[in-house]
Amino acid sequence: MAYYTMNELMAVAASKELRDEELGFIGVGTDGRAYTMAVGIPMIAARLAQMSHAPNFTIFWNNLLSPKLDEIPPYLTQDYLTKWPCAFQPVTCEDKNEMLANGRFDVSFDSASQIDQYGNMNITAIGDYKKPKVRLVGCLAQPDHFAFVKRPIILTDLKKRTFVEKVDFITSVGYLDGGDSRVKAGLKPYGPWKVITDKCILNFENEERRMQLESLHPGVTLEEVLDNMGFRPVIPEVIKTTEEPTEEQVKVIREVIDPNHSLLRA
Amino acid sequence: MKSKLMALEDAVKLVPSGSSVAFGGSILRRQPMAFVREMIRQGKKDLTVYGYPCGLATDTLAGVGAVKRVEAVYTGLFQFGMSYNFRRAVENGELEIKDYPEVAQAARYQAAAMNIDFIVTKDLLGTGMAKYNPEDIVEMVSPFTGEKYHAVKAIKPDFTVLHEYVADEYGNVQWPDHRDADDLDMLFAKGSRRLIVTVEKIVPHNQITSRPNMTFIPHSWVEAVVEVPFGTHPAPCDAFYDEDDDHMALYQKLAKEGTWYEEYAKKFIYGTKDHWDYLDKAMSASHMAKLIVR
Repeated sequence: MAYYTMNELMAVAASKELRDEELGFIGVGTDGRAYTMAVGIPMIAARLAQMSHAPNFTIFWNNLLSPKLDEIPPYLTQDYLTKWPCAFQPVTCEDKNEMLANGRFDVSFDSASQIDQYGNMNITAIGDYKKPKVRLVGCLAQPDHFAFVKRPIILTDLKKRTFVEKVDFITSVGYLDGGDSRVKAGLKPYGPWKVITDKCILNFENEERRMQLESLHPGVTLEEVLDNMGFRPVIPEVIKTTEEPTEEQVKVIREVIDPNHSLLRA
Repeated sequence: MKSKLMALEDAVKLVPSGSSVAFGGSILRRQPMAFVREMIRQGKKDLTVYGYPCGLATDTLAGVGAVKRVEAVYTGLFQFGMSYNFRRAVENGELEIKDYPEVAQAARYQAAAMNIDFIVTKDLLGTGMAKYNPEDIVEMVSPFTGEKYHAVKAIKPDFTVLHEYVADEYGNVQWPDHRDADDLDMLFAKGSRRLIVTVEKIVPHNQITSRPNMTFIPHSWVEAVVEVPFGTHPAPCDAFYDEDDDHMALYQKLAKEGTWYEEYAKKFIYGTKDHWDYLDKAMSASHMAKLIVR
């Protein structure tokens, strides 16, 4: 049995994508697994980055710029959110939207119910949009992340029903139909950056901008990955293995960053 | 300045069925729940709801079939999960939804504040939201640079309903020192046509005038101001009280099971004669005391 959990591996992998002096956007998420993906793993990744290679990395969370990540609240009930110490709380969240549209965010963390081979994501509706089989949450700022953030990072479990050939509805535009279609639609060239899952890490190759396997997590086979995807990603000649967290990183996550075990519950 | 103080029942009477209403707050925080429950008691229906992120107010109105359309960036209940009443209505084809991302939706309120009828945004390019809503989201190019944009309509609701912290009887609404600013309430107020504000507490006028820079909605924008303590319960009002986890768990259990109308609405909304009666039925005094934050 490994000395680390899959959530911890994903958090460490995400932290390696964060660079010094950059600004990251973390959203709110709902309950359960979605919360771990939207909030838990990104928070731990951000604090790990601060404590290692990126001491000046900072985040915008909820409506707080640079909240103190060495004092992550044990619960995210309203009063903890209201009083969490931070550098800047805008007067209203127009300020955050203006920061987004001005390209002031370097990375963001997003998750989805459906993602396709070009990194387009769906958090709006499964089935027919006007009379959906399942109505999802809507949009939030995810389309804005994909439109304006330099390197959006996707965090999601690898599942056949999530990784689909074509999303039922494009909430957030990845590389659209591949190639330069994203740019032709009027968007900046850089879309989603990495897809960090519970089985592997994927990226987007440079030509057709299709999803490409980057590394398999330790113990995971290529077959297992392909069995959990509704499309075949680009497979490079040499497949790397995702680096395991060090024992020290695991200790820091459990004892220093998240001692209440509130971030990685599901 | 003239007094704009009104009873909740009378303020709700201002809003006829069929109105479009922008509800302030965000998801749970400062949702004007007392106002919404009174709207339901008075039988308001066929409402168009505008939000930023929608939450408990929209889900409650959708649960009694009072909403015909929602335009928002999200509808859900944050840590309590999906918005089941709303979701069921959309899935049954009973409720029309127009989805917008945050930058676009905020811009639409900004346009109303500027009193222009549309504004442009880039965050709808290539999206399903634009594809399925060609009447309201129209592609255009910048006359200056040739860059692609979408023109989106300003949000000019018939009524804007906000729940805030404190105000004086004239409708000067103030912030507390510590608050959660993750909403667009001030922008909603700027672009409002008829603005109704419910507050936790009506304070003396001299408390307002002694720190006027904390006023974010001035009396001249406000049509009615209503004192409604615990006016967002079971949702939280930052700086006043936290979310009521127990009540929300009950709400969600019944909404998920599909028995919310029979077992929740009939007890806590139709079965209460006013907001005070609701508070009595919704919680004990000790429970209320525990929700209060300092």
